[in-house]
Amino acid sequence: MNKRKFFTAKKIGYIILTISALIMVMPFVTALFNSLKTYAEFTAVPPKWIPEVFQWSNYPEVFKLGNFLDYTFNSFIVTGLSVLGAVISCSMVGYAFARLTFPFKNALFVMVLGTMMIPPIVVIIPHFMIFQQMNLLDTLVPLWLLECLAQPFGIFLMRQTFLSIPKDYEESSKLDGCNPFQTYWRIYLPMVKPSLATVAIFTFMTKWNEILAPSIYLTSNEKFTLPIGILSLGGQWFGNEQYMVAAALMSLVPILIVFLFAERYFVQNFSSSGIK
Amino acid sequence: MKKKILTAFLSFVFITGLLLAGCSSNSTGENTTSNENDTENANEEQVTINLGYYSGGKSDEKMQELINRFMEQHPNIKVTTQSSPYGQFFQKLDTQIAADEAPDVWLSDGVLVMKYAERGAIKDLTEWINRDLNKEDYYGLESNQDTDGKYWGVPQGIQIGALYYNKDLFDKAGVEYPSEDWTWEDLKEAAAKLTIDASDKKPSEEGFNSENIKQFGLTFFSITEGWFSVLKSYGGGILDESLNNSIINSEENKQAFEWMVDGMSKGIITDPADLNSFQSPMAVFPSGSAAMRIGIYARVLAANEAGLNYDVTVLPKGPDGERFSPVITNSWVINESTSDKKAEAAWEWVKYWSTEDEVQKEWAELGEAVPVKKSVAQSDTFLNSTDKPENKQAFLESFDFAGGLDTNAVWSEWVAKFNEHARRAFLEEQPIEEALENADKDVQKILTDFYNE
Repeated sequence: MNKRKFFTAKKIGYIILTISALIMVMPFVTALFNSLKTYAEFTAVPPKWIPEVFQWSNYPEVFKLGNFLDYTFNSFIVTGLSVLGAVISCSMVGYAFARLTFPFKNALFVMVLGTMMIPPIVVIIPHFMIFQQMNLLDTLVPLWLLECLAQPFGIFLMRQTFLSIPKDYEESSKLDGCNPFQTYWRIYLPMVKPSLATVAIFTFMTKWNEILAPSIYLTSNEKFTLPIGILSLGGQWFGNEQYMVAAALMSLVPILIVFLFAERYFVQNFSSSGIK
Repeated sequence: MKKKILTAFLSFVFITGLLLAGCSSNSTGENTTSNENDTENANEEQVTINLGYYSGGKSDEKMQELINRFMEQHPNIKVTTQSSPYGQFFQKLDTQIAADEAPDVWLSDGVLVMKYAERGAIKDLTEWINRDLNKEDYYGLESNQDTDGKYWGVPQGIQIGALYYNKDLFDKAGVEYPSEDWTWEDLKEAAAKLTIDASDKKPSEEGFNSENIKQFGLTFFSITEGWFSVLKSYGGGILDESLNNSIINSEENKQAFEWMVDGMSKGIITDPADLNSFQSPMAVFPSGSAAMRIGIYARVLAANEAGLNYDVTVLPKGPDGERFSPVITNSWVINESTSDKKAEAAWEWVKYWSTEDEVQKEWAELGEAVPVKKSVAQSDTFLNSTDKPENKQAFLESFDFAGGLDTNAVWSEWVAKFNEHARRAFLEEQPIEEALENADKDVQKILTDFYNE
């Protein structure tokens, strides 16, 4: 009897899971079908879910309309360098705030947190002028350089993580002859991989989808990143929406690949902690 | 070992940074304006100008082609370009203007020319236009004229409003196609016959549900393709001639609003809430869900792409026989802070664009805009191209009663404010008088804040 009850519960669980999975997948399926429609089908009301003839040619058409290989390559450079830069710089600064002693430590930390309150649009003109002076406009550098200079959210996250690790590690490593950098690099850093992964994922997502900064800094088409490239498919008067959907779907593929590979790695790290 | 990896990574980051910076300074030299080394090469006379435009899918290629041809014809002028998607272009431009980094010459949306002009970002072109252009030859030159008569830009392509109608839907309902003599009341009468609710009933039938419409008589959207031409042809409007004062709270506007709100409450005209159920407010007509629309010329692109069987005619008359067709002229403007030499080179480009028949024709073939040069607009290239609509003449006829959208330095701001109040009236959340009164107050405040400072 109990066993039967258990199975019914399990069944209901599966049904709920299946339904929620379908709800989550719906937008993607809709987008996929939309990307295979003609313009007339795309705008049709009531909407036609499945196109009559699949317009596979929409995909090659996207490549004719824009340099999508360039855009993807640029997006990879920007995101890759940003992720590496963010992971290293945030963990270093976070470690300093958590473990080192230096004058005005807390005041400085409050200032760092304070900068989180400033909306990005406010600093865009000063940033623009700085990069103009550095002769870096219309290059990819402004898009990733700032991430290498430690962003407040990452600093905050890393500091909290480092604080949660007992001080004993620091003392015993000192006894074993580690200098502060070695303590950070060899002892502490391997213990905070999950938080590093969080910083990496956040940076990756923000940078991959970023629109404001690239649209301000980049002027030549071959330097565009994917989001700007996709937007430039539409004109002032006419959207080319079905191509935009196709392009947007293609821009998802690299993210999917990254997540498929990274997920296993992230999960592994949560289980390997140094605390006994 | 790990330390080595870290050192290696850090060096990699910095070296890549330096390398990219190194590469970039070459390319920025080509792509931005502030580089002073334009004349470093053998040819001392050569001027490099930077041209900004918003990219629009297929039109990009044509633009590049025309630029290349311009450079062939003017060997002493080198043109570098920068482009962005439409929305991002103007966001970037504001930053660039603040940093004195804007292109030497750029393509401005017609409604934004005065914003740049009144803020001192673009050059007064009056002298050059008087010297080099025969004003009789062009459409839309006057739309870039301010109240003092100064010209701030030269039209690149023209958008003018007309009445679009879906022939198939008219045939199906057995209604006669719109005529040039229609008043807005006539339009509403016909539109009522073309409106169908979800259970296939018409407004005249019993049980008709105006809340659930399948096919609208007229689709209606914001200023240019919505309320502005109705207000104007009813004798009303938004701003007075100085463009500094609101004239919103008037009897004429009230009448026009009564016409609109009545149509919307009956389900004949799309109200702002109806538009939410479409991909975009622009998609209602191409999707065949509305029999008519007020549309600027560029709407032929979507209608043709959707394969609609449609045509156009002039917009209806107001109760006193007045007519109005809204015009937007996207225009070339020249940066105020650019050097004289560059400004002159930029003017050469503007002249090339507007005076050369070939350029005008090729651009017209893209079907994005009515050509600015009258001779080309009146030629077969434009009027008798094989694409629909058949009656392209209607766009040209509309110039007889065309007018701007009261564009001034704070245009975007007051339009947003007015839309907010108009929406309340359209959705019957507020009586018309009250909405107009509030709109009048708020719009006037925006104007006073800017002009009286």
